Amino acid sequence: MSAAKKHVMTRGAWAEPGSSLAFKTGTWRVEAPFHQHRCAPCHDACPAGEDAQAWIAKIQEHRLQEAWEELVAANPLPAITGRVCPHPCETSCNRGSLDTAIAIHDLERFVGDAAIEHSWAYPWLAKKGSRKERIAIVGAGPAGLSCAYQLIRRGFAVSVLDALPEAGGLLRSAIPMTRLPRDVVDAELKRLFALGIEFRPRQQLGRDVALEDLEAEYDAVFLAPGCQQSHGWDVDGATPPDLHEGLHMIREWIDLGSIPKPASVVIHGGGNTAVDLARIMKRAGVAEVSIITASGLPGPDTDPDDVLNVVPREFDEAVEEGIVFYPHHTIKRLIMRGSQTTGVEIARLKKIPGAGGKKKRIAFEGTERVVHADMVIPAIGEIVDPAGLEELLDHQPYFHPDEWGRLQGRTTVLAGGDARGDRGTVSAAIGDGRKAAIAIAAMLDKRSLPDESRERIDVEALNLNYFTPAARAEPPKLKVAERTDQAEIIGSLSEGEVFGEADRCLSCGNCLACDNCWNYCPDNAVLKTVELASDGSHYVFDFEYCKGCGICAKECPTGYIRMRPEE
Amino acid sequence: MTTPSETIEIKDIERLRAIEPRFRGLESGHRACQGCGEALGARLVLQAAGPDVVVANATGCLEVFSTPWPQSAWRVPWIHSVFENAAAVASGIEAALKAQGRQSKVLAFGGDGGTFDIGFQAVSGMLERNHNVLYVCFDNEAYMNTGIQRSSSTPHAARTTTSPPGKARMGKRHLKKDLVSIIAAHHVPYAASTSVAYPADLRKKVRRAIDIEGPTFLLVHCPCPLGWGHDGALTIEIARLAVQTGLFPIIELERGEVTEVMPLHKPRPVVDYLKTQGRFRHLFSDDPRALEEREHLQALADHNISTYGLAIDHADPLDSEEADTVRRGGLVS
Repeated sequence: MSAAKKHVMTRGAWAEPGSSLAFKTGTWRVEAPFHQHRCAPCHDACPAGEDAQAWIAKIQEHRLQEAWEELVAANPLPAITGRVCPHPCETSCNRGSLDTAIAIHDLERFVGDAAIEHSWAYPWLAKKGSRKERIAIVGAGPAGLSCAYQLIRRGFAVSVLDALPEAGGLLRSAIPMTRLPRDVVDAELKRLFALGIEFRPRQQLGRDVALEDLEAEYDAVFLAPGCQQSHGWDVDGATPPDLHEGLHMIREWIDLGSIPKPASVVIHGGGNTAVDLARIMKRAGVAEVSIITASGLPGPDTDPDDVLNVVPREFDEAVEEGIVFYPHHTIKRLIMRGSQTTGVEIARLKKIPGAGGKKKRIAFEGTERVVHADMVIPAIGEIVDPAGLEELLDHQPYFHPDEWGRLQGRTTVLAGGDARGDRGTVSAAIGDGRKAAIAIAAMLDKRSLPDESRERIDVEALNLNYFTPAARAEPPKLKVAERTDQAEIIGSLSEGEVFGEADRCLSCGNCLACDNCWNYCPDNAVLKTVELASDGSHYVFDFEYCKGCGICAKECPTGYIRMRPEE
Repeated sequence: MTTPSETIEIKDIERLRAIEPRFRGLESGHRACQGCGEALGARLVLQAAGPDVVVANATGCLEVFSTPWPQSAWRVPWIHSVFENAAAVASGIEAALKAQGRQSKVLAFGGDGGTFDIGFQAVSGMLERNHNVLYVCFDNEAYMNTGIQRSSSTPHAARTTTSPPGKARMGKRHLKKDLVSIIAAHHVPYAASTSVAYPADLRKKVRRAIDIEGPTFLLVHCPCPLGWGHDGALTIEIARLAVQTGLFPIIELERGEVTEVMPLHKPRPVVDYLKTQGRFRHLFSDDPRALEEREHLQALADHNISTYGLAIDHADPLDSEEADTVRRGGLVS
């Protein structure tokens, strides 16, 4: 107490008037609140490693450029992935339990397009050219480009080799322009290469350059050649004499504009290639286009491991356009008249867990039926072209590296992207490239790899009382009659719609700066500060007075405040 | 997340407390229980009222936990006399300030015991004499300070130490007194109810009442973890459910007429509220009277909803579901 303390005489006694601040109610506490940033489900689910919650928070503050910078820390191609990614982030979004998921892909696309429009500069992590090591990357698709970007922004020198004259990989060769306009690909790649990435076109491994030469010339090599060779496909040993493979047909159509036009066609497969090809052929004038797939259709009750591997809206559009799907079916027999295909016999099929937990496919007897078709096209996937990689592949169709792309027994050669065989999306390839870059940098620095595992926050940890249903923003879409081979079918959200949509984000596991803890604490034990506290929020617990009642944790909308026993 | 350069270490917590961007008329260090709704309510009232006030406090928890000799948690002029006369003391202070030509607003604080029962005639007299006083009743629905005895504010069927459930009856036999209507019958310019679950509503009503020259009245619903039998962490959750079920209607009356209510878009069943609290636990037993009393309380909630026209068929930004909706940086509405 200060020297100015006053003794006050009363009839009963004398008192030293003092503030209750002298009484530290913190000693009552048995549980203490703490702030903990947990991984939002969108972040957890993103194959590219984007923290969508973090960059959407920047959009909520109307800081679009900062949002983009946060986003491209993981993924340098948001204008592309915003258009083609099947967005598992939205499937996992906690907002789905309240009304509908945040339209994360629409926000990503808007931010990516804004970056192109305003020529925002990619953020660097080290001075350009500050490292003497050089890294070669085979394949200028999403995995290779992502790896090149992550390495050059860390100061390394990077060369990207590709068999084709242009960079882009399947972004150019396999994805229809209706989904991904080529000017978007051009713009994203131009900015990426402007960082100083060397591009060596027309360099096919095993033909123009050998892996050994690259290993000798460079400090590390990342292999992202994609899958350039068709899977073998037959039905009990039989194949149609006019066999065309799905991805090959799409490439011809993109390059030359030519596509066969039979009266009816059956496509066998359950991925983007099957659906894209079906829509191209339907638009070209094929009257009946059917897809036979072992997978189920997207729907609330479908097991996520047993669903068409396509962007959900692409499936909806295909149905709108009149594509007929036979889910959970397989082809049992080709029906030929002479050498001419006239149809297929199909049967119902299900993937069922067998002995040892491995799923096996069972075609059920008694469910056979005939589908007439003048043409049967397999679109069941591709494998790595083994040319130049024979030793590494060892007769396997794909590489089998660890999650960082490291191949067993090799320290300076890594692999990722579609060539892994267990990927299949642009975003997963981008994630592979990023992880391989981190692994290469760690290898060269003789550092251990970072721990990227984080505790994920589920909807039960949120307090949904503080959120109310709001409609999801829907982008404009071309009507079926207006769709062509070139025009992009889905449009962009407006800036106002983007800000509105971002406001729907629940900020799972991260501070929303909503003031609830500060407003509701009965003990003034939450202090608000304009400065950021050391844990990243604007609130500080005053443990001299906090009684540990737990109201702040209970009323935190985002699950950012938790309680733990007092030590 | 922030980058290290943006991050500062918070060491000087006293400095942070000193520069808090709000007025704390009721400071930390008070001895209220963990999760006390009344402590929260009083802090929120003074936060909105500001420092230029004089408070007369009736006997009760608020008086006891805020002023343990020789300390005080109050940062405004504050006086306690006895249980029944907070309104009379406030009337005297107001008259004295008026005689001196001073402008400070006078507040009177009381619990439900000191307002509904023991200090009732003093409140009525203060209203009738038209004193320029805001009377705030922190309603935790029983005499908590003396050991949870029933008051005329205790809801029907609730367990207290003087209304135990047993063979004769299922908790309190009588009904909660409709005090706001009685206050309004004095033809005062403003009387309202609010809840600690909706701090923005509470502060708005305090500011409104402070600005009115004349007697005004605010009933603040404050859960009591000890007396109601719930975890202190659930105080806000339970207060919110009391509103969302219709058991505690949030209303405003001017000159005796209902002028505004917090509407309920989707009223919750009262069992959602009752099952959270020990004082209603006997209503979930096998006793056949339990169902009857639950239905009775549901009927009382439905009566409130129809009497005050609480139900609306569309979402409203100020309804009981949306009034507390947050987004980055604070409340939406």
